[in-house]
Amino acid sequence: MNLLYGFYVLVWPALTLGVLVLICRAVLRDRRDARREQRELV
Amino acid sequence: MNSASLHQFSTPTILLLMLAFYGGTYLLTLGIRKKKEDADAFMVSNHRIGFGIGAASMTATWIWAASFYAAATSGYTYGVSGPIHYGLWGALMILFIYPFGRRFRKLAPNAHTLGELIHARHGSSSQLILALSNVLGSVISLMVNFTAAGALVSVLSPLSFQAGVIIAGVGVLLYTLWSGFRASVLTDFAQLVALMAIAVVIIPAVFFAMGGPSELVAGLDNLTAEQADFFSMDAILNQGAPFFVAVLAYAIGNQTISQRLFAVNEEHIKPTFLTATVGYGAIVIGLGMIGLMALTLGIEPLNGDMNNLIPQMVSSYLPPVFIALFFILVIGSLSSTADSDLSALSAIMMADVYGKNLARGKADPQRMLLVGRLTMIIATAAGIVFASFSLDILVMLVFVGALWGAIVFPVIASCFWDRITNAAFTTSVLVAMVMFCLARFEWLPLAGATGLLFELLASIGGGVIIGLMVFGFLGRTMGFLAGILALAAMLVFATGFLREYTVLLASLTAYGTSTLVCVVMSLASRQERFDFATIGERVGDYDHIQGAPAEASRRQPTPPKDATPLAGQR
Repeated sequence: MNLLYGFYVLVWPALTLGVLVLICRAVLRDRRDARREQRELV
Repeated sequence: MNSASLHQFSTPTILLLMLAFYGGTYLLTLGIRKKKEDADAFMVSNHRIGFGIGAASMTATWIWAASFYAAATSGYTYGVSGPIHYGLWGALMILFIYPFGRRFRKLAPNAHTLGELIHARHGSSSQLILALSNVLGSVISLMVNFTAAGALVSVLSPLSFQAGVIIAGVGVLLYTLWSGFRASVLTDFAQLVALMAIAVVIIPAVFFAMGGPSELVAGLDNLTAEQADFFSMDAILNQGAPFFVAVLAYAIGNQTISQRLFAVNEEHIKPTFLTATVGYGAIVIGLGMIGLMALTLGIEPLNGDMNNLIPQMVSSYLPPVFIALFFILVIGSLSSTADSDLSALSAIMMADVYGKNLARGKADPQRMLLVGRLTMIIATAAGIVFASFSLDILVMLVFVGALWGAIVFPVIASCFWDRITNAAFTTSVLVAMVMFCLARFEWLPLAGATGLLFELLASIGGGVIIGLMVFGFLGRTMGFLAGILALAAMLVFATGFLREYTVLLASLTAYGTSTLVCVVMSLASRQERFDFATIGERVGDYDHIQGAPAEASRRQPTPPKDATPLAGQR
């Protein structure tokens, strides 16, 4: 039960961290593409 | 353990925190500022926002201050499944709109608002109904977010509620006013990074500080049988089901979502919305777990106010630096939503009101910018005034929710079915609103044949919701099948029972009535079938006309030879 509830609570911050890393990497890629195409990021 | 007091910051500390947040955000926007902004970019950037910025902006916009408070309240009230029943359905609102969003984008690649698309499809009356629902929704959202800022500032410092409201309102306006949507999406990224990073730290920190899994499991004895049950019917019927009903309505009725649909690079719509779904769900459910932790520990919310649950838990178990982080978390979430609401309101006034109805295809881009900026100033002032007077907006909130429910079928069907008429759209929404009010405010006794009639309409509404959701992902046949099965199930299980849940009954009635009236009137009409290809020709950019070299303009369909290109209508 401890393991199950521990997982139930902590899986959300872990997922949040995963999405945070994914978004940061994607933004860096967006920035690189925008520079290469000589246009603005937004 | 019972109630605990909240940590108090001094006035200079709280002012410094807000200055650092809003000052930093303002400085960030200086990097993209142009002396002469472009009206189209002010509304939707260049229609080519990348996946990263798009997903960050979508997530940050959808998370507002109430997300944390309401998720924690749900965890505290409904126990183990509570956070899921708040966060999951909120996340699915983002997911379920993207298949329809791709269709909107395909029909009108250069649109700025969903209203422009509906204007090209039907004309002014349908467009203005949609625009009105969007405006009401965004003004309410502004007010709620400014209220949250005032409340947080007043409970964590000696500063007054009004001071918090004014600082948040002016801070958001300052960094959004000049560059509009471009400033909103750029700052959304920075704000999301801050709030995700803080959520990643705060949730485990509180969890382990309160004693970790063993303490949580030990505290499960404090829960009622319903609260301890992951499949609690109480949680499903009172929290999950009303939210599930609103899944499509919130997304259709919210210009902040359609604005991003029209701004993101078309190829990235799917990954953008999928990522935002997971991101929103993870943060909100995670912070909702703090409400569950409070429940297992037997903590009473300070002054009986559920909004105090998270600050109370953070104050009780973590050092003051975490309270400051929590403060930034809430200010970041409410500011990212408020700047999106300002951008949404300005786009509606620029494109739907000025561009389509006042200028009638002869819109002056510079005047449009002026309209947009004035809208932002007026909306911020209105938000601050409404928030400062703590107006009771329950009736307005109920009304807007019903309006959003009533427009779901007419809007979606108008983009797929060539027989829907303007009269059917407008009439169905108005009749649905009347039926909603009759049920919601119990102006008619919901008993006997009347009760049965409303349950029948609500059952149709249930079938429509399920049918549309399945249709979005699996196509027409599966959508029809799922809708009919859901209708049959509702007729069996809901009749004689749903009248006890008037909120749910009234919401479903709005869906069912608008669908029924819209379909019957459209089938009865002898109007010529609509040619969807004309929408792309009627909705265009305002700045880039007649040979302007904008990328967006190059992607537009070629207009007929005899057509005269006009700003916003090519």
